[in-house]
Amino acid sequence: MNSKANPSEVTGTTEGGGGEGSHGHIKLKYQPAVPVPKGKLAVWLFLSTEIMFFTALIGTYIVLRFGAPEGSWPTPADVRVLEWLGAVNTFVLICSSVTIVFGMEAAKQDRPAKAKKWLIGTFVLGCVFLGIKAYEYNSKFEHGIHPGAPRSLLYDRADLNYLSAVKSNLDAEILSIEKEKTALVSESAAAHDHGGGLEDLILIRAGLVQWTQKTVGETESPMMRELALESLAHQINPRGSNPRVDAYLASEIADVKNRIAELMGQQEIIDEDVREMQNRVNALSEELKLEPDDSRKSDIESKLAAATEESRKAATKATEVVDLLKPLTDRVNAFEQFSGIHDGLNEHFHLKLPMVIPSGNTWANTYFLMTGFHALHVLGGLVAFLVLLMFRLDRTRAGLMENVGLYWHFVDIVWIFLFPLLYLF
Amino acid sequence: MNEIDATNQDPSENSNTRVFLFVFLMLCVLTGLSFWVANSYLMENKVVGWAAMMLVSVAKALLVILFFMHLWWERAWKYVLTIPALFMGVLLVLLLVPDVGYRYMTYSKERRENAPQPAVREPVVGKSAVPTLD
Repeated sequence: MNSKANPSEVTGTTEGGGGEGSHGHIKLKYQPAVPVPKGKLAVWLFLSTEIMFFTALIGTYIVLRFGAPEGSWPTPADVRVLEWLGAVNTFVLICSSVTIVFGMEAAKQDRPAKAKKWLIGTFVLGCVFLGIKAYEYNSKFEHGIHPGAPRSLLYDRADLNYLSAVKSNLDAEILSIEKEKTALVSESAAAHDHGGGLEDLILIRAGLVQWTQKTVGETESPMMRELALESLAHQINPRGSNPRVDAYLASEIADVKNRIAELMGQQEIIDEDVREMQNRVNALSEELKLEPDDSRKSDIESKLAAATEESRKAATKATEVVDLLKPLTDRVNAFEQFSGIHDGLNEHFHLKLPMVIPSGNTWANTYFLMTGFHALHVLGGLVAFLVLLMFRLDRTRAGLMENVGLYWHFVDIVWIFLFPLLYLF
Repeated sequence: MNEIDATNQDPSENSNTRVFLFVFLMLCVLTGLSFWVANSYLMENKVVGWAAMMLVSVAKALLVILFFMHLWWERAWKYVLTIPALFMGVLLVLLLVPDVGYRYMTYSKERRENAPQPAVREPVVGKSAVPTLD
């Protein structure tokens, strides 16, 4: 079969015997548009549709990523991206491209055993790629980075929404630990999954989350509100140093300590008052018991009523002070316990509290979308390899091998573009 | 069978192996190069750094397409397929540049309300909201 078909080779001869009334049958030579086998052409056309597919996804990512203002896109460290792992994956895919090329060459040279070995090598390398991808996905899930709701723990900014999410998350966590404790009735249950025990979580709740709620609810300055929420987010998941938050926390703690000292001073006075009142009440009731005269009795009774009233007021004041002191002391305890932690509460106590990572959700969406579809294509390629392995890969199958190879090279090219876009930008 | 057999391979198959190995080496080098660019001084001007990394990626893709996909040894028909594919891959993305600019400069109301806040503002020095008894 020659591959240089000429359009001028239109033979216009009639069939065999002479004039039976048959017209001249023009024998046309089949002239394909592109001089390659149909299978190969089909694969190339399929690849162009795949280009359109991935262009759409990558284009979306480009608009979102480069349309995000400076500083509002997560850094690789924010979202637990290991660039070197991506480079290893790139290397694995490149190797698999090489192996399948060698496999195709072996099939063309009519050496099916060799071709099979190369094909198996490609398959193994593809599995390695998927394994590394699974490890990467797992490490992201561990840190609460999911493609989207409901599992995603990423928030764009520290606002009231975020605060209530942290609160409900922490409440659920504490509840589950307490349930475990009562179910197993053992001390070890409390700390089996968590770096910190129940007491740490309760302190976080009282001294951080509830304190932030209090601050946010009672302050009138929106700046203060923002700072309080931001400092909570920073303590849960610090994204580098934040001098604003540090300054705020330092001044807040100083204020809290001053306030505690004041209140304790007042508490002493009030306690004394309470004791005094109580003594007076006791004295008056003694007097009342011993007093025989009725007219004097009513006099004493009224005095007693007044004294009891005052004593009650003093007691209420005492409890008020105690109530005021509790959140302050919780705050100081929490501060002292957690001020030495530099990697954040989530990391330190192996918690999964909601985190604030600007544009984190958008990043997660695009990342999982692109790498997920790419991984599905890799999986499809692996299935194709398995099917191919059932054939005898001699010269007649070289075309089939080439087509599968074309698909696999395309998958490699997509990853070549995905790697810098996702890992290095 | 009307199949046209595209047996226009390079006659000496051994030299092909060497070509492939060389291309493989170049691909590894280029991967390392893009990694290096990402961590080097070129990233100080972000746009230059990104352009460099994209160039490296394009070079790698070209190597794979030309040699691994055997287009180096094919005839003119390769342009019938590759040029439209190039259009789709490159032009479609370039057409998005105005969108990128628009999104960078304009926030919709909903986006503004929920946007993350990257801007650095002056630290506030003052009283914190500690409750008082009176």
